[in-house]
Amino acid sequence: MTKVEAIIQTSKLDAVKDALHEIGVEGMTVLEARGHGRQKGHTEFYRGREYTVDLIPKLKIEMVLRDDMVEKTVGTIMNAARTGKIGDGKIFLTKIEDAIRIRNDERGDSAL
Amino acid sequence: MAAKPTLGSELRELYAAESERIRKDFASTRNGRTAVHRRTALVESIALRLWKELISPKAEGPPDFSLIALGGFGRRWLFPYSDIDILFLHAGGDTEAQFKDAIRNFSQELWDLRLKLSPATRMFSECERFDPSNVEFAISLLDCRYLAGDEALFARLREQLIPRLVARESRPIVQRLADLTRTRYNKFGNSVFHLEPNVKYGHGGLRDYNVACWLALISAIEEQGGWPPEGSLLPPSLSNQFDAALDFLMSVRCFLHFRHSKDDNTLAWEAQDEAAALSIGAPASNPMTPSDWMRIYFGHARLIHRVATQLLDEFPAARPSLYRQFQNLRSRLSNAEFSVVDGRIFLQREESLRDPGLPLRTFRFLARHGLALSSSTEHQMQELLPALAQSPPSGAEVSHYLQEILLAPHAAEALRAMHSLGLLTLLLPELAGIDSLVVRDYSHRFTVDEHTFVAIENLHLLRQSQSKWDVRYAELLDEIEQPELLYLALLLHDTGKGAKSDSHVQASVEIAARCLDRLEIDAPDRETVLFLIGRHLEMSASLRRDILDPATLRQLADKVGTPERLKMLCLLTYADIKAVNPEALTPWKAENIWQLYIGAANYMIRTVDERVHASGDDEVLAHLRTLAPAAGKKLEVFLEGLPRRYLITQTASDVLGHMEMASLLADDPVQLDLTRGRQWYQLTVVTLDRPFLFAKIAGTLAAWGMNIVKAAAFSNRAGTVVDEFFFTDRFRTLELNLPEWERFKASIRDVLLDKADLDRMLQDRLRSDRNAAPKVKVETQIEIDDECSPQSTLFEVITQDQPGLLYRISSQFSRENCNIEIALIETEGQTAIDVFYLTSAGAKLTPEHQARIRSVLLEELARN
Repeated sequence: MTKVEAIIQTSKLDAVKDALHEIGVEGMTVLEARGHGRQKGHTEFYRGREYTVDLIPKLKIEMVLRDDMVEKTVGTIMNAARTGKIGDGKIFLTKIEDAIRIRNDERGDSAL
Repeated sequence: MAAKPTLGSELRELYAAESERIRKDFASTRNGRTAVHRRTALVESIALRLWKELISPKAEGPPDFSLIALGGFGRRWLFPYSDIDILFLHAGGDTEAQFKDAIRNFSQELWDLRLKLSPATRMFSECERFDPSNVEFAISLLDCRYLAGDEALFARLREQLIPRLVARESRPIVQRLADLTRTRYNKFGNSVFHLEPNVKYGHGGLRDYNVACWLALISAIEEQGGWPPEGSLLPPSLSNQFDAALDFLMSVRCFLHFRHSKDDNTLAWEAQDEAAALSIGAPASNPMTPSDWMRIYFGHARLIHRVATQLLDEFPAARPSLYRQFQNLRSRLSNAEFSVVDGRIFLQREESLRDPGLPLRTFRFLARHGLALSSSTEHQMQELLPALAQSPPSGAEVSHYLQEILLAPHAAEALRAMHSLGLLTLLLPELAGIDSLVVRDYSHRFTVDEHTFVAIENLHLLRQSQSKWDVRYAELLDEIEQPELLYLALLLHDTGKGAKSDSHVQASVEIAARCLDRLEIDAPDRETVLFLIGRHLEMSASLRRDILDPATLRQLADKVGTPERLKMLCLLTYADIKAVNPEALTPWKAENIWQLYIGAANYMIRTVDERVHASGDDEVLAHLRTLAPAAGKKLEVFLEGLPRRYLITQTASDVLGHMEMASLLADDPVQLDLTRGRQWYQLTVVTLDRPFLFAKIAGTLAAWGMNIVKAAAFSNRAGTVVDEFFFTDRFRTLELNLPEWERFKASIRDVLLDKADLDRMLQDRLRSDRNAAPKVKVETQIEIDDECSPQSTLFEVITQDQPGLLYRISSQFSRENCNIEIALIETEGQTAIDVFYLTSAGAKLTPEHQARIRSVLLEELARN
């Protein structure tokens, strides 16, 4: 099992969700996030006050998948979230030891 | 010894068989009251059997020892999986030790039946000691019922001890009961109108019913010194409705227990579907949708909650002393029409009931002061409704009161109270469609009507909040020129959810349009409200795009049009999202909405001088051509080269009016129009451009003591200028002296035609005004943007507002040979925020020129 964490642009959530749905990935957690990598923030003036956006709004989607689904999922996210510009985001993969469904004690792949 | 297992298995069989019969009978009759009475009887029969087997062969023995049902068991309200509270009461001495094993065996047998038994053993005298940390026990005694044992001991408890205890401790009992109720309300979200309510603990649930009964009982015991006669303690008019509500809730809770096979009282969506299909609590012949069935639920819950909270509020002991002191302070709010006692409104004069305007005045009073109706006033209002329904007030009268209510700080409370009585839908039938309406959206927590009230409440609460984002949005709310329109839009923004339509937004616009027509709202205000309703999801949609992308900002700015509408839409979005559920407006979203707002607001300012081409196929231009088909060329000449902002901010009739003024310039070179609006006077000057024009008008207004709060200057390609000034009349010169209107206009004309000496006019005024010290110190800031416009240089000046300020700034520009192409002047409190698009010799300003102007402006503004 692998945990897929993808930081994406807020505008790409619907596209990513739809694309994942197409390949049969339906369960995911979406978290509101802020941050920046190479894409720096910017400063806006309003009514004489300075508003600096040094952390840009992003969304983080997380899901744990069977290993055979990982590459397909990663490819799908990349296709759906890519604009080709700085700020498109990143995907992180982590090995997961086990998963347990609290309701009925199922473990492993069947708990996903 | 061998009898015990036999007894246990016998009782298990009895309990299982009878429980199954109760379940089956409920499935066919759906009568909750019968089911709970039968389960009570079943448990009681088992308890009596155990009493005979384990404690005394005679039901009325032994002496000095009794078995008493408490709480729900005492009330004969044992739902299929509810707890069973019993009390082993003994007179003292060695009775407890004597029956210790028997009590343990008795309890064990019931636990073995898998009953959720909560036994308590108390000595008689212990029952009279009030324990503030266990008020539940004292309250459970109010429902005590004799089961077995020493009847005289029970009689002493019920007839002597409990009345004594209640009389002595009623204040702390009621206060703790109120605390528990408030804690419970907080836990269950402080609203009746949850989409998935808890029928026991939620607002208007069975616990509220109990609270109402306990309070009525405590009050009666206090007054009469003993137990009141059997029967309802509530007024007859209410007790019938209360009984119907109880029947309904009992059936629903039974249904939920059987459905979940446990004491789970959450009325989740799936359960609502089943309950509606089975018509639980409603006539079986009446097939219902889940929404319709939930409306019945909310109707009953609303009644129970209203009565429970009313009794709590009217019980002086129910509130902490500080709260009561506050309420007593509020009694000073009493006036000739209303008296205020303990935060409740009473009518002073019976004869005022004949006045059809009374209900609206009452709720306006409530909205202003955050009070509640007393039960007598509420009853009087209810009595008025049938007559009011025959000829409901309408048009401007309702509109006037409604807007006053919406603007008052406790608007949401007033609206809820009006809605609960049926007055709101009587006045605004458009809201009937969303009354208690459940729309299944996983993020929404409330019914549509309650969501609307919460959204209105959210805006009012902004001013009291200390949270970073609320404070920022509160500042924005204070800048809104007509907040009543924003509140009106919020009130109607989701009315379309009650219509059968693919788009609730479009349906809301159509419903709101009819409502606003009936309320006789002015055309421009109507347009603003409908715009806000029609676009109420626009900013939320933009949040799903890249909010830092100029294309997103341009799209939003284009759709919204004016900064004022953007502010209102921003606040509406904020309040609307926050009303979805208490966690919906995360700091992440609050910040994104703000960034989107300031991005779009700045975009509007930076693109304000995009010019109109009169030959274009723009929608606004086409509309103008339709309105004035004969104007033809004259219209084109007037519009050519005007900033697009002009078209967006002016109504069609304004544009045509300005065109007419421009056509008269050959006869009179200065055309003036002076009107008085609700907040400000408005002066429109149409004339040909000339040096110092804007500065001279601003100076004349300052010389007359007028305070300019907003201004705008626009010019077309032919050099015709439309300058608009919005001002307040600080010395009420125009208000108190009608002939001064003409002298004022003549004075402006004379200054513009160089027939009057403006400097002399200003001298005295500015000298006397300079003595007034500002309340808030605002640092001067000057921003220059040379890139936002292809032909002008933008100067944004933020500084301390003061009399004659605009004259001083614009004079400096004129002295520096600058032409003011566009001016956008705003005042917020003590801060002046003035934006000027400047050209010099028809082009942008050079960097040296910009630096020089900045320097002279700073010097000028430092001179105070």
